[in-house]
Amino acid sequence: MKISIRPDHRALAEALRRRVLEGPGETPPALRQASAERAAGGSAAEAPYDDLARQIGEAAHSVTDTQVSSVLAAAGSERATFEIIAAAALGAGLSRWEQAMKTLDEVTDAPA
Amino acid sequence: MRLREIERGDGFANRLLIRFISMVSGMRLPDAARVAFYHKEFFGVPLGAWTQAAMRGPSPWSVAERELMACMVAKWNACAFCVRAHGAVAAKEIQRPAVDAAIADFRAAPISGRLKSALTFLEIMTLRPGDLNAEHAKAALGGGVSREALMDVIAVGALFSIVTRYADALDFAMPTPPEFERAASMLLKRGYASY
Repeated sequence: MKISIRPDHRALAEALRRRVLEGPGETPPALRQASAERAAGGSAAEAPYDDLARQIGEAAHSVTDTQVSSVLAAAGSERATFEIIAAAALGAGLSRWEQAMKTLDEVTDAPA
Repeated sequence: MRLREIERGDGFANRLLIRFISMVSGMRLPDAARVAFYHKEFFGVPLGAWTQAAMRGPSPWSVAERELMACMVAKWNACAFCVRAHGAVAAKEIQRPAVDAAIADFRAAPISGRLKSALTFLEIMTLRPGDLNAEHAKAALGGGVSREALMDVIAVGALFSIVTRYADALDFAMPTPPEFERAASMLLKRGYASY
């Protein structure tokens, strides 16, 4: 008998969020969190991370080499730069996840 | 901007693995896979776990329907790499003309009404997330999308809002059409999990 277990999207999203924004890395978690918030439309992060995170959130296809190389110079390694890019991308995606799930929960919770 | 460490792999084992897979598959390993191998305990493993569950796990949606959703999120985010990569996977099960028609105008494409309802929700979630409200969720549910199915749609939308952004920020190299076809077969067979 085949047993199908539905994915626990909420738990998987939370595990991803915790690992990337709170877990160990080359960059401080606070900087990753600030980059994620900025990409989600939040307040400005410190330079030069702010410009790259904002760009990733608004229109990643227009990210320039200068925006990435500025973060590379400040962060000090490709691995740290990757962490900032991942955190910003995550911030834009998870903000959509939360907003969309809120609308679904509102419908589900509404009285029939 | 491309990062050299992602191109060549971090660590001896990953460098060998990238070379081995490229040799066996007869094509350069696409950047999407190289990123999944890079600093993977930080990003590839937790992202791959959710992506595998959302794209290949039990769902009211077929694999091809979910791949088409990913393709459409990529279109709305102007990520050419992901449009081609996930359009090619979707086209393995949906007819290629239907995939192309959806990319051009999903409302006029020969796809189910249920899928159109899902894509209508996904379009707002991708492009105007601040506008999203309960009426949009109600409209999707009224269009034949179950609560579970809509949750799966939202998961695909969130994941590919992430994937398309790092793909473009890292300037993924564009494979040729035959390479996308081969990569699509690999993606269907191997899935997304990164161990």
